[in-house]
Amino acid sequence: MCGTCGCSDPKNDVALIDPDSGERTVLRQGGILGQGGDHAPGHAHAHGHAHDHAHDHGHAHDHADGHHHHRHDGDDRPHAHGPNGEVISLETAVLAKNDGIAARNRGWFEGRGVLALNLLSSPGAGKTTLLERTIRELGDRVRIDVIEGDQMTANDAERVRAAGARAVQINTGAGCHLEADMVAGAVARLDPAPGTILMIENVGNLVCPAMFDLGEHLKIAVISTTEGEDKPLKYPHIFRACGLVLINKIDLSPHVGFDDAACRANIREIAPEAEIIALSARTGEGFEAWTGWLTARSA
Amino acid sequence: MHELGLCRNILAIVSEHAGDRPVRRVRVAVGPLACVERPALAFCWGVVTEGTGLAAAELAFVEAEGDTFLIKDYELEEAA
Repeated sequence: MCGTCGCSDPKNDVALIDPDSGERTVLRQGGILGQGGDHAPGHAHAHGHAHDHAHDHGHAHDHADGHHHHRHDGDDRPHAHGPNGEVISLETAVLAKNDGIAARNRGWFEGRGVLALNLLSSPGAGKTTLLERTIRELGDRVRIDVIEGDQMTANDAERVRAAGARAVQINTGAGCHLEADMVAGAVARLDPAPGTILMIENVGNLVCPAMFDLGEHLKIAVISTTEGEDKPLKYPHIFRACGLVLINKIDLSPHVGFDDAACRANIREIAPEAEIIALSARTGEGFEAWTGWLTARSA
Repeated sequence: MHELGLCRNILAIVSEHAGDRPVRRVRVAVGPLACVERPALAFCWGVVTEGTGLAAAELAFVEAEGDTFLIKDYELEEAA
C-alpha cells in the first residue's frame, strides 16, 4: 500500500537491516513521492513499490454501446449498476490494504503462538532502554525477538541484540511510522519461534503510528516523566489505541516535578480501559510489574 | 502529517475501481477520531491527483462516527 507519510522523501527506500549479517534488504524502492503519482486511469496500479497481494478482482468495462456492462471476477465490493453519471458505492476503508496485511500478520502470530506487542512513544521516552532491561531480566526464561523501527541507522537493533535478543531493523527512510507490510517483511526474516514475545518498537512518534494496525496483539504506550503529565491529553489518538501505558523514568520524578496522580488521571480520561505500570528502565524500580505482566501473557 | 499518503491510497483505490471512466467527485467519510485532518487531506488531494485521470475530481467529506475512515462512494461525470 502507499500509505507513507507526507514527509516522505523519494530518495529514501524503506529498508530491512539484519545486524547479524549486516545484510540490507529494500522493502520498498524509491520512497513514495518519487514514483507514486502515476495513477492514470486504465493504469490500475503504478505504485513505486512492490505489492505482495494478487489483484484477482478483475473488472472489465465495455462502454461501446452506451450501456454499462460489468464482468466480475471475484469482485465482491458493493457498487451500484447504472448509466454514466451514477454514484458508485465503495465503502472501502482507506487503509484496507494495510489492514488486510495486518490481519494476515495477526493470524500468523496467533497460529505460531507469538505474542506481538507494538511499542509507541515519542523519541527518547526510553523504549529501547526498556527493551534492553526486559531482555536482560527475562531472556533466560522467555524468548524475545525485536523489530526496531527508525528512520535511519541500525543503532537500536544493535543495542537490543547486544542485550541478547534477536533483532532486525526497519529503516523507514522519511516515513514516520511502521506499516503492516514492513512488519510482514521483518517477520519473514526473524521467523520467531512458538512462544516468542515479539516486540515491535515503532518509530518514535505520538501521531501517525496510531493509525496503522500492524497485526499486534496490543499497543503499548511509553510515556516518560520528563515529558510532562499532559501527553495523553495532547496526543489522545495514540493513548486511546493502547491497552497498556508504561510511565518510564520514575527515578527522575522528584527532579522534574512529575505529578504521578495527574498523569494517571489524564491517561484514564483518554483510555479508561488501559492498564498503567510505572517503572524505571534505568534503575529497575517497578520493573517486576512489567515483567510479570509480560510473562503472564506469554505463557 | 500522513495525509499525503492517505490521499495516494484513496486515489489508488478509486482509480483502480473506476478504470477509464471520468470521475467527478469522491466522497470520504471521516469520523472525529479518525486522526485525519480534512483541510490537509483536501490540500493533498489536489497535489496527488495532478496529472492523473482524477485531476478534475473533487474530494468531498461526509460526516461519520468514531474513527471511521472510508471511501464512501464516487460519482461519474455525465456521458458526453
